[in-house]
Amino acid sequence: MNGELKELKLTINGKPYELKVKPQALLVDVLRKNLRLTGTKQGCLTSSCGACTIVIDGKAVKSCSILALQANGHEVTTIEGLADGDKLHPIQEAFIEHGAVECGFCTPGRVMSAKALLDENPNPTREEIREAMQSNLCADEGYVKYIEAVEIVVKKTQGGS
Amino acid sequence: MREFEYFAPKTVKEALSLLSQYEEEAEIIAGGQSLLVIMRQGLFTPKYLIDVKGISALDYINRDEGKGLRIGALTIHRAIEKSPIIQRHFKVLSEMEGNLATIQTRNWGTIGGNLCHGDPAGDPAPVFIALMAKLKLASLGQERIMEVEEFSKDYLEVALEPNEMLVEIQVPTPPPNTGTAYEKLTVMKGDMGIVGAAVSITLSSEDGVCKDARIALSNASSIPLRVREAERQLIGKVLNDDLLAEAGQVASEEAETTSDVHGSAEYRREMVKVFVRRAARKALERARAG
Amino acid sequence: MAKEEKHSVIGHPMPRVDARAKVTGRAKYAADIELPDMLWGKIKRSPYAHARILNIDTSKAERLPGVKAVTTGKDFGGFRWGWIGTTRDEEPLAVTKVRYMYEGVAAVAAIDEDIAEEACELIEVEYEPLPGLFDPFEAMKEGALLVHEDRPGNITTEYHWNFGDVEKAFAESYLVREDNFKTPRMAKGYIEPPAIVAYWPDTDHLTVWIAKGSPYFPYRILARCFNLPLNKVRVIQPFIGADFGGTKNDMVNGDFAAPMLAKKTGKPVKIVYTQFEELATCLRRHPVWITIKTGVTKDGILNAIQTRLVADGGAYTRMSPLSLYLMGCCMTLPYKLPNFKTDAYCIFTNNPSSAAMRGHGIYHTRFAADVQMDMIAEELGIDPVEIRLRNAIENPEPGEIYHTVNKLTVGSCGVKECIEKVAQAINWQERKEAEKIDGYLAHGVGVAAGAYLSGARLTGHNAAAAVVRICEDGTVNLLTGASDVGQGSDTIMSAIVAEVLGLELKDVEIKRVDTDYTPADPGSFGSRVTVYAGDATKRAAEDAKRQLLKFAAKEFGIKPEAMDIKDKKAFVKADHSKSIPWLKLVKLACYTTPGNVIIGKGVSTRGVGQVPNWETGEEDVGANYSFTAEANEVEVDLETGVVKCTDNSVIAHDCGFPLNPPAVETQVQGGAYHQGVAAALYEEFKMDNGLTTNPNLVDYTRPRAYEAPMTKVIHVITNDPFGPFGAKEASEGSCCTAPPAVINAIHDATGIWIKELPAQPEKVFWALKQL
Repeated sequence: MNGELKELKLTINGKPYELKVKPQALLVDVLRKNLRLTGTKQGCLTSSCGACTIVIDGKAVKSCSILALQANGHEVTTIEGLADGDKLHPIQEAFIEHGAVECGFCTPGRVMSAKALLDENPNPTREEIREAMQSNLCADEGYVKYIEAVEIVVKKTQGGS
Repeated sequence: MREFEYFAPKTVKEALSLLSQYEEEAEIIAGGQSLLVIMRQGLFTPKYLIDVKGISALDYINRDEGKGLRIGALTIHRAIEKSPIIQRHFKVLSEMEGNLATIQTRNWGTIGGNLCHGDPAGDPAPVFIALMAKLKLASLGQERIMEVEEFSKDYLEVALEPNEMLVEIQVPTPPPNTGTAYEKLTVMKGDMGIVGAAVSITLSSEDGVCKDARIALSNASSIPLRVREAERQLIGKVLNDDLLAEAGQVASEEAETTSDVHGSAEYRREMVKVFVRRAARKALERARAG
Repeated sequence: MAKEEKHSVIGHPMPRVDARAKVTGRAKYAADIELPDMLWGKIKRSPYAHARILNIDTSKAERLPGVKAVTTGKDFGGFRWGWIGTTRDEEPLAVTKVRYMYEGVAAVAAIDEDIAEEACELIEVEYEPLPGLFDPFEAMKEGALLVHEDRPGNITTEYHWNFGDVEKAFAESYLVREDNFKTPRMAKGYIEPPAIVAYWPDTDHLTVWIAKGSPYFPYRILARCFNLPLNKVRVIQPFIGADFGGTKNDMVNGDFAAPMLAKKTGKPVKIVYTQFEELATCLRRHPVWITIKTGVTKDGILNAIQTRLVADGGAYTRMSPLSLYLMGCCMTLPYKLPNFKTDAYCIFTNNPSSAAMRGHGIYHTRFAADVQMDMIAEELGIDPVEIRLRNAIENPEPGEIYHTVNKLTVGSCGVKECIEKVAQAINWQERKEAEKIDGYLAHGVGVAAGAYLSGARLTGHNAAAAVVRICEDGTVNLLTGASDVGQGSDTIMSAIVAEVLGLELKDVEIKRVDTDYTPADPGSFGSRVTVYAGDATKRAAEDAKRQLLKFAAKEFGIKPEAMDIKDKKAFVKADHSKSIPWLKLVKLACYTTPGNVIIGKGVSTRGVGQVPNWETGEEDVGANYSFTAEANEVEVDLETGVVKCTDNSVIAHDCGFPLNPPAVETQVQGGAYHQGVAAALYEEFKMDNGLTTNPNLVDYTRPRAYEAPMTKVIHVITNDPFGPFGAKEASEGSCCTAPPAVINAIHDATGIWIKELPAQPEKVFWALKQL
């Protein structure tokens, strides 16, 4: 039947969830509206701004371009799942320390893109950092501090090499 | 977004049964990176949406010298880009994927989804055409093979029957001394190409004469366009830069460019010249390198 | 000398006070606000750019299950609003006529967004389509139809100013050039679309969370709209996903519709614009046609400039009077200009309205003038850096003031130093002489300089205020109406308090704007926050300090003026060994005598007082003026016309004194790239009879990380006499210097002049073909 709610089971930030969603619900809507995980932002709905970037099974993806039901059985990480209690993720720390945060609207998406990049490639070049965040549109800072902040994390985790 | 009924088959067979049941009323979604953009704008709503993304049997890349390369239709772009097999034997595919949209899109979008969307601005189709690739299309109890070149029918329209789905892309092992390259015009990395050109050149190992050439364009017509006249400028000749430029010129005459916010038809025509030449130069270098 | 050492907080790099909330996703933006029983609203929009509304039938929509209320413009009882009292020409929802494509005509509240959207489609509107005006030059013609029946000639606003004697100066000039330039319609660029949540806690009390850079705009406008006293309108500012002027500063249909629907239903109503709604309808940067005539001596010294500006203001007046004012008056900076004449027109059309955008006004004319300066330099055989140095305004000696011909007061000017430093940093001589062409790629360098005002001086409610409350445990609460939209003002304001009171940044807690509690402040626009709200905050902290020192002084039996506070100690100036720890002092003040609650109050009236003369174009438009020079290298693909900025990119910015250096850097880098390089190379709304044909972020190309130059920022410190701690603006100037620097670099690389922004590939390609 059209309009019937469908069952969705997935893991978000390490916690299992079971909920019922409309088939046409986008993953970003379910995160924001059903689960109130509003750290993931919705900017464009044309897959162009990257504010809704999350990590699924270790890969950065845009949650506005995925039906919620397509995440069935998958492991989702959102910005809310990055810090360990009060202890921030090194990327979050670097963003704060290096001043790579301005209005902050695109920040969660960028942090998630950076996380996926560093999980996959702990020692990326500047080109690779740029490429990893090509999807994350920013409006107010010129990307310079962001790129440098990721480089700082790389330096720290690579033992200053 | 409007309502639809949703199915998530776990096997190809299940998917094909659903297709044969609902036919025209059904639409397949794979990664949905293009489809959802259209659906979100309310431009298209299927009655039944068949989500094949979870069919893991169609996620593979394998190769042998005889059969060539086989890519499962539901392989994500990023996997093709990063595949050591492809990087080694089909570098052009990996390069093309590396400039297709952004990593976030490549992480969810599938090669099959891209081809079936039928967007003439898509990058994979012209490259597959240049590589003489074929598609395996399946319906319940049946399979057929089609050249990629035959697959696109019109803007966003491909040669799938309502009960059919794309299951595999087959790329033959190129003949010796073949080089292939894809170049597109973008303003920003990851953009859709304003135009793009895929060129494959095979040289004779004896005299270095161009034995075969295939040229296909993206975003220069309502379909990925193979430009045969341009190919003929190269075949049977010892290639030089003037001939490559000549091929570009002829390709631009064959192109059926149109105007949009990213460029006029005239500009696109000019760019076909440039990008056919650039891709051909690179393909030739590769062919010469063996 | 070593100004930094004088200060223990400001001037040092500090992490932003809101950064933690932002990197963890805990920062709540308007669209993140949710209340119990909340409804979703949607706007019904006109499919015509110009049409009379004959009838609106909402009955079908009202019958759709899940719909709770429908509103049309008639519900607002003839209310009209505008930027100032004399420009009230817009309705919350159009009643009798729509004047631009997708103007709102009705709105729906429903239990979810999908139903609200479906209901909008069920609203039947009968229109009588009218011919539209889409070209300001057509609209200026005698007998053209009128966008507003009561506005003859379709003139939104016009200025005619004349300083010195341009005719005489042209006659005496060695070289006189006249060129035409054009700037495009541009989106403001924020990622967060407009959003509002409105509800009525009681029938006479309205509360809204709204994504605006200036919460006191909706505060005043909604009070008038709903006929409420100001103390019954509560505007709470959530975090703001940036605001570069326009739609996120000014009102949109949804900002009126949500409170009206909430009033009708008695429930909270949320309206979140889609990016399509934003881009298709938003207030955009004015497209301006600029004719500029400049006369110079043989040595390239400016004798006179005359400009004629025609701006497309779109359907409504909005902030156009200020936009045009700024386009005109700042031509006299950053170069010495003895004679200046301008005629500026803003014209109504049936395009979406134009409005302020980062780099407001100045960007247009600085682009024209600084590109033309390179044309002049080339004709005269003078180096572009040299011609700028010859004309640059000198830094006045301490205590002295430089007055421009239109009476702008310059107390500090680091433009010469800025130009010298960028030239040095980019290896100007070497780059100019380097081989330009390598295969199909050409490289070139360009330079430009500019100035920007800190804080538009306006009449009316332009004063800023702050309240500093000392808590009995020694911590401090800061209340200000200043709004942080991402520029980092919450950190700056907190740092100012910490600096004055000898505390650490972490001891100060700033409250975001809530009109029930924070003092009125116009908001974030015109680069006003640091200079005005910063001044008010400094005064409030000083007031608290004065009160505290009374108690400290009593302990030592001396006058309060003989004491000071630093590093969490109040001490006797003459003998630093005599001191009281901060906490002890606070407890002394709070506990010893009854009623000693320490509340410091500060008001800044710098932005009021003497305001510009709109008739003559004279007097200060800002509290002070920042200066910038930028040098960029570009790479031009000669076969395709694609231009990229390389990492060889430098900006020197004179913001007087950088209160938080990394924040100045991100502001300057961001302004130069997003609103500067973007304007030079990428961004333009394409139009077709009033329809925006690229209303999405795929077709409206915005610059991204891969192409971003790693722009170096050089701080030039001039310690301005009129800014708090010597500070001047730091967010808008760089938007204005990037476009001419990039266009000049393209010329250096290729020999072409791009006079119409942006230099998109196709434009560059055809220009190269014509060489």
